[in-house]
Amino acid sequence: MLPEYKTSVTKVDNADKMAGKAIFTGDIQMDDLLTAVSVRSTIAKGKVLDIKLPELPKGYYFISAKDIVGENICNIIFDDWPIFVDKQVNYLGETIGLIVGEDKGKCLDLAAQVNITYEEETPVFEMVNSYIYKEFTKGNPELFKGAAEIYSESFATGYQEQAYLETQGMIVYFDNDVITVKASMQCPFYIHKAIMRVTNYPENKVRVIQPAVGGAFGGKEHYPSLMGGQLATALLKIRKPIRMIFDRPEDIAFTTKRHPSRTEISAYLDKHKNIIGLNIHVHIDGGAYKGCSGVVLSRALIACTNAYTFDNLIVNGDAYCTNKVPSAAFRGFGSPQSIFAIELFIHHLANHLGIDPLELRNKYMVKQGDITSTNGIFRDPIVLKELRDKAMKMSDYENKVKLYSRPGSNRGIGMSWFLHGCGFTGGGESDIIKAKLRIKKDKDGVVTFYTSQVDFGQGNRTTLKRIVVDTLGIPEDKVIYDAPDTSLTLSTGPTAASRTIIIVGGLAAKAAQHLKDIWVDGEEQEIIEPYVAPNFIHWDEATMQGDAYPGYAWGVNIVEVSFDPLTYQIKVDGCWSTYDVGHCIDERIVVGQADGGIVQALGYGYLENEVAIDGKFRQRNLSDYIIPTIEDVPELETGFVDNPFPYGAFGAKGAGELTFVGGAPAIALAIEMAIKHKVNKVPANPEYIMELLSHED
Amino acid sequence: MKINFVINKHNVTVDVDPSMRLLDVIRNELHLTGTKEGCGEGSCGACTVLVDNIPYDSCLTPIANVIGKEVMTIEGIRESKEYNVIADAFAKMGGSQCGFCTPGMIIATYALLQSNPHPTDEEIKVALSGNLCRCTGYQGIINSVRLASQKGEKND
Amino acid sequence: MINHFIPKNLSEALDILSNHDCYIIAGGTDLMVQKHRSSGLLPTFEKDVLYISNLEELNFIRSDDKGVHIGATTKYRDISSSELVPQLFKDVISELASPNIRNMATLAGNIGNASPAGDTLVALYVLDAYLVLQNKESKREILVKDFIKGVRKIDRKPDEMITEIVIPHHDLHYYWKKVGSRAAESISKLSFLGAYITKEGIIKDLRIGFGSVSITVVRNRDIEKQYIGLKIDEFSQQIPEIIRKYDEIINPITDQRSTKDYRKKVAMNLLKDFLTKIK
Repeated sequence: MLPEYKTSVTKVDNADKMAGKAIFTGDIQMDDLLTAVSVRSTIAKGKVLDIKLPELPKGYYFISAKDIVGENICNIIFDDWPIFVDKQVNYLGETIGLIVGEDKGKCLDLAAQVNITYEEETPVFEMVNSYIYKEFTKGNPELFKGAAEIYSESFATGYQEQAYLETQGMIVYFDNDVITVKASMQCPFYIHKAIMRVTNYPENKVRVIQPAVGGAFGGKEHYPSLMGGQLATALLKIRKPIRMIFDRPEDIAFTTKRHPSRTEISAYLDKHKNIIGLNIHVHIDGGAYKGCSGVVLSRALIACTNAYTFDNLIVNGDAYCTNKVPSAAFRGFGSPQSIFAIELFIHHLANHLGIDPLELRNKYMVKQGDITSTNGIFRDPIVLKELRDKAMKMSDYENKVKLYSRPGSNRGIGMSWFLHGCGFTGGGESDIIKAKLRIKKDKDGVVTFYTSQVDFGQGNRTTLKRIVVDTLGIPEDKVIYDAPDTSLTLSTGPTAASRTIIIVGGLAAKAAQHLKDIWVDGEEQEIIEPYVAPNFIHWDEATMQGDAYPGYAWGVNIVEVSFDPLTYQIKVDGCWSTYDVGHCIDERIVVGQADGGIVQALGYGYLENEVAIDGKFRQRNLSDYIIPTIEDVPELETGFVDNPFPYGAFGAKGAGELTFVGGAPAIALAIEMAIKHKVNKVPANPEYIMELLSHED
Repeated sequence: MKINFVINKHNVTVDVDPSMRLLDVIRNELHLTGTKEGCGEGSCGACTVLVDNIPYDSCLTPIANVIGKEVMTIEGIRESKEYNVIADAFAKMGGSQCGFCTPGMIIATYALLQSNPHPTDEEIKVALSGNLCRCTGYQGIINSVRLASQKGEKND
Repeated sequence: MINHFIPKNLSEALDILSNHDCYIIAGGTDLMVQKHRSSGLLPTFEKDVLYISNLEELNFIRSDDKGVHIGATTKYRDISSSELVPQLFKDVISELASPNIRNMATLAGNIGNASPAGDTLVALYVLDAYLVLQNKESKREILVKDFIKGVRKIDRKPDEMITEIVIPHHDLHYYWKKVGSRAAESISKLSFLGAYITKEGIIKDLRIGFGSVSITVVRNRDIEKQYIGLKIDEFSQQIPEIIRKYDEIINPITDQRSTKDYRKKVAMNLLKDFLTKIK
């Protein structure tokens, strides 16, 4: 049976993408385009003592820290990541310079001949040096002293590669005297800001334009800023168009990934087996530079009790400096790590206490009006019970649990439930991003609006346009909405944090409504609509107290697997999901997020293994960094419970990350049932499962 | 070396090294950029083209291997009536998101439905098993191929 | 400066080989990966290249009393759809790489490439397959297992090329398992092929091959021979000893795809499962 998407409209970019007409960064044709290749450090830590260049033929350049006109900084929240290594190398493959020239082969030859002398230092690859620490408490942790029992466990998650199909790539050129950038990106204004700082160029002399983008998932949130700083530096010196596109091995080896983590949880129990409270410590591996690791850590900590309410909490978190490629944004942004831990912990605790895990989970399930982990309030109606019941029914969960729990079944079913806070954490939207949306109308009644949101596949260009079309009540062809160009649009913020529809969509609806309210036929009119946070949101960043997010989306994933006891391989046999994303504006688009999110999460849970040995990733291409193929995926069934959100456009909340965060715990729980052994780590790949079971031989 | 072959039904001669990848000839010499490169080692299928009606990874094909053969890229496929059925199905079922794997997926689908107009789900999965997609979770793609197969039936 | 040769027929190809040390490219699926440099750049062939994929006279599958003959330019796609090819071999091919690669790649190419993870090699070893190597003057036959000397090392003289592979007929029962990293399009972590013939309760033939657990396929005829001729119940008694013998000779490594412990353990699990299923 094929689905019917009655609420959906044709995606605006479909026709070009299917016909191969969409122009991605690598497809851009330009005369006299030079190529840039990177000269990278061959050690993980140390000082650069000397750089000996080969003789550079005419038209070939070496660009390095010395060529930077402004500051040698790629600001990603912190000012710690240099555009080029100046003296200190902090990870293997850090960019020391670029070789730029006409012939790529010659550039690569020259890059290989750059002879760098180092004074090596001892690198650190383990999570021992904390560079960011955060903590908060809830309720009265003093009560922990009266516990009759303490139950503790530790959980680990690995690296994950975004594995967007289009690798990182960028073109820079001068358009008159304006530094112009086209790149595979998520956040045009991040690149814009990075280049201004590196070049000392003013705002109106840097222009970032988005071509088609072949997937991002967080991986193109920050990294393109670094490339932008490097290439803009080269452009100022060479003054010719330059392109840099990574081959897949370079992309895997040297661009940002999901933070590996370790989470320790202790439950303090009274003598009636009630949970007095939890003590949770989340450790994440931030890599060589802090970048956004502090914010990832915040989200991990805030989400550490997932969709459960515990009255008393001690929450601690550390991000660690290691001499590896910096970890950064990836769909879920910290919450997948801690939600994996708590979902498995509750099950293990229930088994330890001899209680049905579902019973224990139900007991602590979040309800409307409950206090969040950071002493905010879950204000809006919560339909998690309905989501749970619907998913359980779709999957025949209870019968399967009975059946598969029997010894020797080699099958398993696992359920996770979860929440995702939409938008930037805390006051981020109103204090840091300060989105402003420009909408204008010409004399003929044609409306154009501008956002800095990038559509890298999610469908937001279609949905944002629709929000404006439907609000104005005018025909679709009277509304123009193009991909971002920083010379035309004001910043409506990054395309990240599941904020596009809930925040920017809300802003677009509001702007369109204002335009409608003042609409005068035959006149040019323009409105600049600033984002105003709902006034009930109070957040204190220093103490991590208050309402962390304006709204929460909710979901349930159920995954069924079978296990081959000879090879320890797992096969995914079924997958059912239910979500509350507020109101689905376009069901086909939201289902697309749901399907893509859960499959990426299943990969995270059982397939995708990425291991660094001495700071070097072992997996080098898509033949050994294993993402799911079509044959690894069962029929995906998805349902929704409508629960319109009062502050988003047309009742919508975020959907991008929500669909990722529950997949790993659901499959890990299914694997536990199939192998009849506790799982404490993802990916739960066959090698790990063998290790678990070998202790029983 | 001068190399003759047929691209999208047009005879073409390129003067290139015989070891040059078909992908580079298509993209850099002929400027047909609908064919994408995702991995450069035959793992992702984004560079899929038809050579004498059979799907090939153009990133692993030296141009010497297509001398005298007929190569079809998405730019050729999109002129066919079958393409319209497939593209319409991909639009209706959410078979394309970021669009980078999409030309390859569509060519793989085209080739499958040419040789097997009514594939089983298993046959669909096998035919598309070399085409990676990171956005859709494949469900929209499977549904797209199912729908294209049904629609093709009505046109038979 | 290297030369590129695109011969029109086999005799021209052999002429070229008699004068030039060449890489021989059929489908290109192995060499074009190995020699790939970067997008938009030529592969880095450091010696002459001979392209043979257009040699139609080597594109054949035929059967005679020696076995099934598969030409050097015959693609996996055609091998797997041929009625002449034994099912065992088709099973192995069906899990090989991706559909596109099966459309392009040749059996001869995979053999010539001698990858330790080449799945078809396990079957070729177990089926006692042999190659025909030809130069301008003569032909010779050599067992696949003797042809392969190590990782990417083969017993081909510069003037020779593989012209066909011969898979002898057999009526073996078989147990094939490729252990990949995912359901499709995976390179083996390991593979196992067990095959046997029993008649009136007696083991008439026994063959065991392991892939990806050593620099090349592990098959040990000496071990196999010791158990041929046993009654099945006697054989069952010997299973622990057989496992012990293979345990001694299987020493896999850890790499980006798996660990040595996993490879070893699963190899032994599959061996045991196979042995206990012989009836």
